[in-house]
Amino acid sequence: MNFAVETPWVLAGLLFMLWPLFDDGVRHSPYPWLDILPPDAFSTGLTVLLRILGMATIAALVLGLAGLHRTEQSIERIGHGANIVLLLDRSNSMDNTFAGRTPDSEEESKAAAARRLLTEFVAGRPHDMLGIAEYSTSPLFVLPLTENKEAIQAAINATVVPALAYTNISKGLAMAMSFFNNRELTGSRIVLLVSDGAAAIDPDSELQLRQWFKQQQIRLYWIFLRTANSPGIYELPTDSRNDNADAMPERYLHKFFTSLNIPYQAYEAESPDAMHKAIADIDRLEHLPRHYRERIPRQDLSALCYQWAAGLMLVLLALKLCEVRR
Amino acid sequence: MSFSGVHKDYRFWCLVLALAAMLALFVHPRERQKRPVYNLAFIVDISRSMNAQDYRLDGSPVSRLHYVKQTLRELLPKLPCQSKVGLGIFTERRSTLLFEPIEVCSGFAELDAAIAELDWRMAWAADSRIAGGLLSALEILRNGDSEVVFVTDGQEAPPVNPRYRTDFSAIKGKLDGMILGVGGLQPVPIPKFNAKGEAAGFYSAEDVPHRSSFGESNLNPEEIEGYDARNAPFGREAATGSEHLASLREPYLQQLATETGLRYHRLTDTEALNEALQTPEFAVQKPVDADVRWKAAVAALALLLPIYGGLLKRYLNRAINRV
Repeated sequence: MNFAVETPWVLAGLLFMLWPLFDDGVRHSPYPWLDILPPDAFSTGLTVLLRILGMATIAALVLGLAGLHRTEQSIERIGHGANIVLLLDRSNSMDNTFAGRTPDSEEESKAAAARRLLTEFVAGRPHDMLGIAEYSTSPLFVLPLTENKEAIQAAINATVVPALAYTNISKGLAMAMSFFNNRELTGSRIVLLVSDGAAAIDPDSELQLRQWFKQQQIRLYWIFLRTANSPGIYELPTDSRNDNADAMPERYLHKFFTSLNIPYQAYEAESPDAMHKAIADIDRLEHLPRHYRERIPRQDLSALCYQWAAGLMLVLLALKLCEVRR
Repeated sequence: MSFSGVHKDYRFWCLVLALAAMLALFVHPRERQKRPVYNLAFIVDISRSMNAQDYRLDGSPVSRLHYVKQTLRELLPKLPCQSKVGLGIFTERRSTLLFEPIEVCSGFAELDAAIAELDWRMAWAADSRIAGGLLSALEILRNGDSEVVFVTDGQEAPPVNPRYRTDFSAIKGKLDGMILGVGGLQPVPIPKFNAKGEAAGFYSAEDVPHRSSFGESNLNPEEIEGYDARNAPFGREAATGSEHLASLREPYLQQLATETGLRYHRLTDTEALNEALQTPEFAVQKPVDADVRWKAAVAALALLLPIYGGLLKRYLNRAINRV
């Protein structure tokens, strides 16, 4: 029960409550000699009641004016959800279609498909905490882990602007993991990587990333939007000379993720439908209990105050009508 | 006993009127009023020259970017609720939007965190083509309903060739907004960082190009020392200059503002920025249901108090009698 008022100085009006102490608000009738009236407990009680009613009415009005309310509260609930950082690829190629062409009226670009499906995903998971990081040549911090779905949607919508430069995935991953730093979070921690290509991870960052993935207990999902005729995650080199991270970055990134020994799932999506399936999968799998605080918005009590004031005034009026007039 | 005559008591009428006021309160609690709200998209220059330290916060020098972040974070709570703020960054020759405008009151924590995380390391490339970035910012935002606030120090790097200037005529006047000039007028060195992000001194004159060497020179070939149309269209002499020092290029930004139909404002402090932004020109009058119950409640209270003012009246009477 946390009560608060909007404009505290109005509470000074509570001093008006003193007025009924000096005056009971009853019309005075002339009487020859007051001393001959016998003491009457009922009358005394009635006078006290009248004064109390008057004070209460004034108090109710002033509290209503001051804007009495119950402050925002939150109660802890346990729901099914997760802490998800969306790590979005903003490299130039995301603006092409799955067939590797410039998007036209029939085919949407990979970025547009990702945007549409992520919108559905976000809307379908009310109890998640979501954060967004993006990367091209360098990582971009977009929004911290939050329950504000409108903000997340605004960030997803903003990916409509042309994509940036190249693909530097290791910095992107590091940025995504930094979202979980110094945060007490219950429920699973997920990094959902949406990209259409990979890049070699340099040995320095590799070590660092390995360590962070372990420490943060991250579950990794990789939705790989594969462009037609480009090497896939599971593709084996035809020539052993090509079996290196620079020639086949997708295969090697997948190998790296698998070697992390963390819960990891890769989806190779060659069309918007395949991507839809991947997202549905995550939606189904990630329903571990998560403690979250449900916010109870502040409750305005001024309406209640005014109702009480009006009710008390009615009582006062009724009593006024009972007054004896000689 | 008789109940007649109660109407002769002024207290009765006060109560009736107070109740009427309360009735009005319940019947008409809200009134539609128009209030100005703002929809601003900040595009912040994160190129290297924004690391130059020529602002002071609490007595210690801070970088331009840090100061911009601080000011924007202070600005957020000053905007009326239902205003929206979007954020984007600019470097190289392009701007990008991190998120579309978000409502400031419900999204305060998110906006604050996102602004705090702005960093020059987010830059995907190192050039600083202000005019190009401004044009791309205007193109991104032309279909939205936000006012663009382009935050930059105006230092083109490498310098532009006046012969090849960005053409804003297609977009001029389509958008309202402001170019916010950042930095001091005194040239200051630009900090340099190594691959690990550690400070590594400052940029020196040898580190940066001091003139454009793109395309043809804008000068008359006869004036160029060692001119050769094919091999040295800008002459043979290495250009020298002070492009390694950063200062606010105010005349240039004012010129860009005129060309794009935006306003120009120089960032000094939050208060001045707030005033410059909260102008009627940027405001959208949004109908808001304002609570007007207080009017009726004050009336009811004013009517109620005289009922208990008998004492006051007696004192008044006594005073009058004495006189």
